[in-house]
Amino acid sequence: MLKRLIIASAIVIAIPAASWAGIGDIRLESKIASMKKAGVGPVVFPHDRHEKSIKCAECHPKIFKDKRGANDISMKFNMEGKFCGSPNCHNSPRTFPLYQCASCHTGVGAAK
Amino acid sequence: MKASRLLKVALLCSLTVTFGFAVNGSFSSAESATAAKETKVAAVTTKKSDKAETKLDPNDPSSVIYLDTSGKPAGLGDSSKPPSMAYKAGQGWHPQALSATGLPKDRYGLIDWAKIVRENIVKPKPSLDAAEEEMPPLKMDVLIPAKGDFVNDVIYPHEMHTYWLKCEVCHPGIFVPAKGSNPMSMVEIAQGKWCGRCHGKVAFPLTDCNRCHTSPKQKAGK
Repeated sequence: MLKRLIIASAIVIAIPAASWAGIGDIRLESKIASMKKAGVGPVVFPHDRHEKSIKCAECHPKIFKDKRGANDISMKFNMEGKFCGSPNCHNSPRTFPLYQCASCHTGVGAAK
Repeated sequence: MKASRLLKVALLCSLTVTFGFAVNGSFSSAESATAAKETKVAAVTTKKSDKAETKLDPNDPSSVIYLDTSGKPAGLGDSSKPPSMAYKAGQGWHPQALSATGLPKDRYGLIDWAKIVRENIVKPKPSLDAAEEEMPPLKMDVLIPAKGDFVNDVIYPHEMHTYWLKCEVCHPGIFVPAKGSNPMSMVEIAQGKWCGRCHGKVAFPLTDCNRCHTSPKQKAGK
C-alpha cells in the first residue's frame, strides 16, 4: 500500500517536471512568408531565459495559451499590447522594446 | 515663582505690541507712499508696454517660466548691452518651468509637439531671419505600406512635418522625393536611418508603434 502511494506520488511529481524541463527554445515561424517580406527571419523564443526572471503565471495562460501553435502571435498584436508586447513585457521599460527587431528575429538584414 | 512667570508674560505682551505697531506703522506709511507713486508708475508702464511685457502673475503658476533658475525675472535685460549674469542663468535648464508650461504630453511623458500645433498652443516664428517668408505646410499624406502582411501600413503626414521643418531637411538627403523609391525598413529605422534620423532622438520614439502604423491591412484579420 505504502509502496504504491510512493510510486504514485513520484509519478505525479515527475510528469510536470519532465514536461517543463524540455521546453528550451521555441522556434516561431508560422508567418515566415510575411517575415521574409519584412526582411527578418524566424523568432527563436528562449523559454528558459524567460523562466529565470518571470513566474509562469505572469504569461500563462492569460497572455499565452500553454500549447504550441495555439497563439496567433503577430507584430500587429504585439504593437497593440498583446502577446510579447503586453504592457509589462516588450512594451515597457522593463525590457527591450518591440522595434529592436534583431533582439528576437534571427537573420535580420540577411534577406534583402 | 509666580512673580517671575508674571514678568515673562508681561514681557511677551509688550514685545508683541511693539512689534505689531512697527509692522502696522511701516504698512501705513508704505500705503501712502504707493498711493502717491501710483500715478507715476502707471505713466511708466504705458510707456514700456510696447517694448516688453512682463507676464509675472503670482496667481498663475505657469508664470515661473519668466523666472531664471535663481528665481529672478529672466530675459528683461538691455539687448544693446552684453548679456548679464541673470540672462545667462536664464539660459539654464529649467525643469520646473518646463512642467509649469502645461504643454501636452504623450503617453511616455514626452512633450507632444504635434498636439501643440493642432491646438494652436505655440506660434513659432518661421525663421530667426526676419526677411524670410513663412512657407505654408504641405498638405499631403503618403501611404507607406508595411512590408510584412500583418503590420498596419503607415500614413506619413507631410503637413505636421513641414510645419516644423523645411523640405531640404529631409529631401533629397534622407528621402528621395519620389513615391516607392525609398527602401525603408524598421530594421534600418531602428539603426537610425530614414525616420530614425529624428524619431527616437528629437521626435517621438519608435516604441510608439501605432502612432505611425495607423492604416489597417485587410489581411491583418480581427
